[in-house]
Amino acid sequence: MSTIINGQQLPGTSYSVGHKQFRFDAAKMLQTASVLPTQSGDTPISQVSRYTYSGTGRSGAAPTALLDSVRHEYFVQNHHLEFPFYGSPLPESSAFRLPRGLGAKGEQATYNLAFFSFGGATSSFSDRPARHHHRRRSSSSSSSPAAAAPPSTLRLSDRHLGVQPHQPLGPLSPIPGTPNDPMSLSRSSSPIPGGGGGWASPGLNLASGRSSPKLSGTPVMWESSRQKRGGVGGGGGAAYPSFTTRSQGFFGRHMRRLSSSLPRFSTSTHYAEKEKLGRGRWSVHNVPLLGRIRGIMARMGRKMKIRLLILLMILLSIFVFYHSPLVTYWRRSPWLGGGKKFVILLGANVGGGVMDWKGAREWAIERDSLRNKKKYVARWGYELEIVDMSTKKRYAHEWRESWEKVDFLRTALRKYPNAEWFWWLDLNTFIMEPTYSLQAHIFDDLQKHVYRDINEYNPLNISHPFTDAYLDAESQSPVGDGRAGSINLVLSQDCSGFNLGSFFVRRSEWTDRLLDVWWDPVAYEQKHMEWAHKEQDALEQLYTAQPWIRKHTAFLPQRMINSFPSGACAENGNDTRIHYSDRDRDFLVNMAGCEWGRDCWGEMYNFRELSYYLNRSWWERFKEDFLALIIFKVTGRRVKF
Amino acid sequence: MHFALPPRKTSQPPPYLPRASRPPGLRRTRFKLIALAGLALFALIFLVKLSTSGRNAAPTSRAPRGNPPVVLVTVLDEARYSKTYLETVNENRIKYAEKHGYKTLFARVGDYELNGSPGSWTTVVAARDALTKYPDCRYVWYLDASSFVMNPALKVEEHVMQPSRLDELMKKDLPVVPPDSIIKTFSHLKGQDVDLVLTQDKEALSAGSFIVRNGEWARFFLETWFAPIYRSYNFEKVEAHALEHIVQWHPTILSRMAVIDQRIINAYNKGVRGEEYKDGDFVVRFPDCAAAGVQACEIESQSFVQAWRRAFASS
Repeated sequence: MSTIINGQQLPGTSYSVGHKQFRFDAAKMLQTASVLPTQSGDTPISQVSRYTYSGTGRSGAAPTALLDSVRHEYFVQNHHLEFPFYGSPLPESSAFRLPRGLGAKGEQATYNLAFFSFGGATSSFSDRPARHHHRRRSSSSSSSPAAAAPPSTLRLSDRHLGVQPHQPLGPLSPIPGTPNDPMSLSRSSSPIPGGGGGWASPGLNLASGRSSPKLSGTPVMWESSRQKRGGVGGGGGAAYPSFTTRSQGFFGRHMRRLSSSLPRFSTSTHYAEKEKLGRGRWSVHNVPLLGRIRGIMARMGRKMKIRLLILLMILLSIFVFYHSPLVTYWRRSPWLGGGKKFVILLGANVGGGVMDWKGAREWAIERDSLRNKKKYVARWGYELEIVDMSTKKRYAHEWRESWEKVDFLRTALRKYPNAEWFWWLDLNTFIMEPTYSLQAHIFDDLQKHVYRDINEYNPLNISHPFTDAYLDAESQSPVGDGRAGSINLVLSQDCSGFNLGSFFVRRSEWTDRLLDVWWDPVAYEQKHMEWAHKEQDALEQLYTAQPWIRKHTAFLPQRMINSFPSGACAENGNDTRIHYSDRDRDFLVNMAGCEWGRDCWGEMYNFRELSYYLNRSWWERFKEDFLALIIFKVTGRRVKF
Repeated sequence: MHFALPPRKTSQPPPYLPRASRPPGLRRTRFKLIALAGLALFALIFLVKLSTSGRNAAPTSRAPRGNPPVVLVTVLDEARYSKTYLETVNENRIKYAEKHGYKTLFARVGDYELNGSPGSWTTVVAARDALTKYPDCRYVWYLDASSFVMNPALKVEEHVMQPSRLDELMKKDLPVVPPDSIIKTFSHLKGQDVDLVLTQDKEALSAGSFIVRNGEWARFFLETWFAPIYRSYNFEKVEAHALEHIVQWHPTILSRMAVIDQRIINAYNKGVRGEEYKDGDFVVRFPDCAAAGVQACEIESQSFVQAWRRAFASS
């Protein structure tokens, strides 16, 4: 075969078509198609290939393609005109005249087109002159004796032709030496010369509202058409033009709908195509997204719609409940989740400042403790207030070190005017169960969880209740007024009395008063030698002496908010009242006193890991408890995921 | 006749007709139904929140009904006053209280367990006891034994404790302890917020005559004042100095306290240490007589006793 790239090598080839032999000079052909743009050197120009792809090694395919292209050209220029052999059985003698410039060797050739039998398969073309179909049909159904070319070749050529868009090629330059015989056919685009003008769309003729063709002036007619008309009308038919509906069977009526719904592969961005950008009437890509979705919805069944809706709801719920900030808003909002009503105060940087340089372990403790609280707060929508407990000159001067927490509480009360409960936490605490919310764990049913009669657990042997006659009944009652609403201070007792590593105060006038009288210079002056735990002892003293304090104080079992590790309060061994138990999933661990001879960081690390272990997700449990075990049994290796 | 220009047609007409009406899923009846359902949901949430929040809500303290309006508290220290004098004081209080429907509470030193602290602390406990015994009283007026009510026509709740009257009376931005304490009375206090009314003489805050309004604050104040930590501290002037201490150190107390002119409830018989009594004043007090000896008060008060008897008889 001969390859033609940019016209570099164009050997002449002779073909025999039917009884006639002619030489097809590719160079000439190229010359005629001189308007082709050359994009790049190695790109075969489709226009060229259309003409020259005949070099498939087999004779026969060439004329087919050639004629096809000829027909195409023809179509381009006169596509509104009826092709004589469209739609009706071809008359045996129908002559086909090539447009100028396409005659081989310059001679004006008339071919007998009889062997291009299009058969009945072309019945639809009268309805729709879509060149794609036309071409497809023409090449595949070509029954010429030379049409023995393998289908793949044909298809290839078809593809090349098929992707070739409709291109008005402009006036072709006449080939020198040929008689420049102008075409007898009008180039006017109008099918009705002298008539209304404009393009007629063959498919829309029916709906044009006019039931008969307007015949004014001289109608342009094909020879064959005239013959046909004469044949049908019987001579006088020309005087009485008749209109016949062209509904020739199912395909005739539905071809457009079917074919327009077929996928198109016209992805070419050829310059000539720009003209039609976005205006293709049948293009699916033109319909806006919304319209397309509506179309899909309209075609969908009711059941399918419901199923889709359910799926959508599930997805939406997953998003809303696990990924959207809605959860946070819900949990934080004061009247739904109520998270904003809780403030956690974390006393960080204990003893820091100029007095003490912190080492790596201190930093690690601080980091872990802080992260733990931050995660908890983020989960439940509480407020976190991290306060700086570093030694300050102000407090040293006033002899009130470690009463800072009183001041911090007061500051927090001002800073969060809508919060209700303030939870003080020492730095050496770790929330073991972040899945417990404060509401569910304690405050939704405060009355049930607390004990107000200190005699239930009384390591300090405080005589309770007051028995003085001058006190009213409420002050003498062991449980105050007995209602949860009157509880303003919630704390726990360890083995040696009150523990303020983890306690709650509620916003109230009572709390203001307590925070006000907690520190008193007269008390401090008298007691600072014996008060080893400063503010804790001061509170014990207040509780012991003053009825108004007792009325509003309640205690929680220590392990609800303040479990100790086994190292703290260890004098009497393990105490189920005091010490942490992972089986009971205690809420919080307070490594109280770890700075006195114990390993704070070690304890913190252990509890952190234990907390992670206890709160593994089901997937982690599956991997670690099940998969890893199986792998261990099978292979003997311990696997870590 | 002019018509508006027809709307400009877009060169790219949409392939579908724009919807002219509301989507069919949202009919009027359905709209109503949706609105109703939403309303019901909100109501449900509201009710649930209401029921749960009510359980843990802070109790609103019951307002005292004002029966009796005032309780007169006096501590009768038989070690410092003569018997006849104390009987006169007793008579004076009872007559005044009867006149206005008040109640009296007379306490003796030793009535309350003080755990070894000076007997003058009985003042504070007695006032606290009055709150217990008369939980519905509106005010407790502590008036020590070295003083007499001189003008029976005046009522405590009108002459002193009425908020509008207090607004006029209270001295704002005044050093709490004369002459120059850096702690000053609140300048933005309102009469209705005042829970404690007392006076200053020239030297100190006077604890001989003070009025407390019944309520949670009164209990807090009296119990704090009575705290063992202060009783054991050996203040020079015992409970009076303890009062000065807590007033200056604890703003929750200072913020409820009004200092008023001495002659309103605490005029002195001599103008040396404080403002001197003038005819028509509510109360006269003999600040030094108790320290001067057992009989001193009786002698010092003779003219005033005749005066108040006359005033009570005439009214």
